[in-house]
Amino acid sequence: MFRTEALRSTNRRQNKPIPKIAFLAGWVALLAVVPVIYILIRALTGDPELWQRIIQTRLIKLFSNTLWLVLAVTSGTTLLGVSMAWLTERTDVPGRKIFRWLLALPLAIPPYIGAIIHLALLRPHGGLISQWLEGTNFASLPLPNPTGFWGAAFVLVIFSFPYVFLLSGAAFRSLNASFDEAARMLGRTSWQTFWQVTIPAIRPGITAGALLVSLDILAEYGTVALLRFETFSSAIFVQLAGRYDRSAASILSGVLILLALVILYGEFRIQGQSQFTQIGSHWRPTTLIHLGKRRIWGFLALLFTVLVSFIIPVGLLLFWSAQGILDQQTISGMQIGSKGLLSFIFNSVWSSGFAAILAVLFSIPIAIYVVRYPGKVSRLFSRISQVGYAIPGVVVALSLVLLVNRFLPFLYATPLVVVMAYVVRYIPQAVRSSESAMHQLSPNLEEASRLLKRNALQTFVQVTLPLILPGLLAGSALVFLSSLKELPATLLLRPAGFETLAVRVWIWTEEGFYLQAAPASLLLVVISIIPLYFLLRRETIFRQ
Amino acid sequence: MLHKLLPVLATLTLILSACAGSTSQPDPISSNQNGNILSGKLIIYSGRSEPLIQPVLAAYQAKNPQIEVLLKSGSNSQMANTLLEEKANPQADVFITTEVFTAHALSQEGIFQPYEPAGYQNLPDAYKAYDASWVGLTQRMRVIMYNKDLVSQDELPHSMFDLTDPRWKGQIAAAGSTNASMQAQIASMIQLVGQDQTEAWLKGLMENEVTFFGGHSDVRKAVGAGEFKLGLVNHYYYYLQLGEGSNVGIIYPDQASGEMGIISNATTAAIINGSRNPDAARDFLDFLVSAEGQKIFAEGNYEYPLLPGIALHPDLVPTDGLKMANIELAQVVENFDATFVLIDMANLP
Repeated sequence: MFRTEALRSTNRRQNKPIPKIAFLAGWVALLAVVPVIYILIRALTGDPELWQRIIQTRLIKLFSNTLWLVLAVTSGTTLLGVSMAWLTERTDVPGRKIFRWLLALPLAIPPYIGAIIHLALLRPHGGLISQWLEGTNFASLPLPNPTGFWGAAFVLVIFSFPYVFLLSGAAFRSLNASFDEAARMLGRTSWQTFWQVTIPAIRPGITAGALLVSLDILAEYGTVALLRFETFSSAIFVQLAGRYDRSAASILSGVLILLALVILYGEFRIQGQSQFTQIGSHWRPTTLIHLGKRRIWGFLALLFTVLVSFIIPVGLLLFWSAQGILDQQTISGMQIGSKGLLSFIFNSVWSSGFAAILAVLFSIPIAIYVVRYPGKVSRLFSRISQVGYAIPGVVVALSLVLLVNRFLPFLYATPLVVVMAYVVRYIPQAVRSSESAMHQLSPNLEEASRLLKRNALQTFVQVTLPLILPGLLAGSALVFLSSLKELPATLLLRPAGFETLAVRVWIWTEEGFYLQAAPASLLLVVISIIPLYFLLRRETIFRQ
Repeated sequence: MLHKLLPVLATLTLILSACAGSTSQPDPISSNQNGNILSGKLIIYSGRSEPLIQPVLAAYQAKNPQIEVLLKSGSNSQMANTLLEEKANPQADVFITTEVFTAHALSQEGIFQPYEPAGYQNLPDAYKAYDASWVGLTQRMRVIMYNKDLVSQDELPHSMFDLTDPRWKGQIAAAGSTNASMQAQIASMIQLVGQDQTEAWLKGLMENEVTFFGGHSDVRKAVGAGEFKLGLVNHYYYYLQLGEGSNVGIIYPDQASGEMGIISNATTAAIINGSRNPDAARDFLDFLVSAEGQKIFAEGNYEYPLLPGIALHPDLVPTDGLKMANIELAQVVENFDATFVLIDMANLP
């Protein structure tokens, strides 16, 4: 596996034999890229007449809808995420340690559950808020329309900002006090320092975060479908669920993938540059900014964000769950065929867990190859295996339906197809975690092991694996968390009787049975908090 | 602070899961007509709204505890797509649809195997396949429901085409283009009034800013809550909403002479060709068209049972006095491609 003599050979590359690990990595990259290529081919070979009809009737509207939403949500998350991080990292606002945790917790709430609550609260007439206001002086208060563009943008910002919050929080934390001091000594005001020193320093991290958020928004199905704002993802789902022809869905998917690949490419470019925020040996924490009397405003801003993005949603879910559990009819309505809530929990956990293990196993060869044999080919493999970031769940589902039925019919209609979808979709997260774990491991240790007559496999099992294990676990926790929340691919690929919590939440909500959906939603959030807690403890801002 | 919360959360998880555990009780082992004990998995694909099919599944499961009843529900066409894709590798035993056209189209593709359930000859001919490859279960009508607090008697619409009247702008809710009942209505209208008029009607709905939901449950709830004045639904959604205490009314549209009449349709069931548990599938179909099964649809869902002699729900208006549209099954199925073209042209969500 490891050719020690090749470890640092950068100038003798021509005659170097291809390492065995490259073949393994190649298989993984192939696995990750086949669904994309298949859909692109299907799209490009689609009926020209159909292309023309789609271009005429739908494409422009879908493009502008999707791009505007991506733009709005990305700006919104950046603004909210950075300001929350600034408040909790750089100022003396009271309670900031607790707020740091609370601001990260919305990651446990899938946006579509957020959208359910948003809708339940704000629906004109039927919504909880208008019911509460009824009969009071505020009854005629105009409430914002919860659906459409602004509704979708609001919900997605509220439940995606923690990504940017965590990244910019880490960037703020790693800022060196000497930067600030130099700027201040050169006569800059604190406001000028913020814009001219702080922001440029944290920009690469934030941009990377924002681009990942935009890929998430491209892929988001549940929220936009529920709030009735048509984007590519929801249009593809409608094609898949409402038509007898797969070609239009393939064409729309092809366009969506191309759009996502452009964003992913930008993200790759920035990945290479974001080395800015490393903590060196001379690092000292920057001093906190004293807000003085303005502390109360900072505190209120934090409190409001936490209320809207976590406390109100979870509170409402708790309230509904309690109501639902006390009601016999709701309980018996939770039985689907011969399956009950326990089976939904079990299915959610084992399928996500299995996907997490597979994704991490597959990511190891890629990580070893790209870190120990840096070069064009290995970097290409690594990037190809991350293409999953750019394929939304609906597209994964479409390509797996077509591929598995054709080439692996024995796998068809088993839960394993659902697991495969999770792996294809979320292996990039595992690849990144494993790569960064490998990066932190010095090749000297492996060389020493080889000198001590251990073979490649022994070296991997006895030396490498124990050392990169925390990184691998983090990767698997991430994949687990994402798979648990996954909705469109699960909806489309699940065999009969295989119901997960996410699927149940969705179907019950579509039928308007909020009380039945609430315990499943709450369980989804609670189960998500476990891997999330593990992941957050590794984040810079939560390390003591 | 979070590590202190974890045990609490874990306990909560346990309580929640314990509370909602399985509730089915073992019953005496049943057998089918031949006296064989039925067992194994019975895989049912259903395009119907889940709460409308779940009671009859629960009743069947209770009668046959040895059978593992597995349901996959989705939109009608999603399940139909799945069945077509699985043709070489069939997974399901039974398909339950919301309307007859899908059943007819799939039967032409050879997806079903013929079976005449007990009492088949008593069912109306209009709602069963000529080759017994599918069988109708219940009948339902496309109606307009309205909120009585918001609409007075004298301003009520009388026709489907009144829905395009600008005075209802922004006041109407309907199900979107993925909904099979909506698709079937459009396909039926193409046969009844022609493609041009149907297209104009769809465009009129769009211009009138009709709100399209994923399903009818949302529509009925929104009309019941007063979010919308009118809703385009299947008749039983009106009754379900009425049953929840809302002040809603029902309009049977297009009754005047020269008008097309009420568009009605039927839910159907069929056995999949290649079913792995055909005995259970047949027994299940027997149950669906039996008095016991039909009663569940009639009493719980306010549907019109197709088996003669089953009492309607007392609140239900008998179909006798109503003018029904004259729908030609085979012809409407031919209209399905045109239906989707119209949907796309009108940009129906």
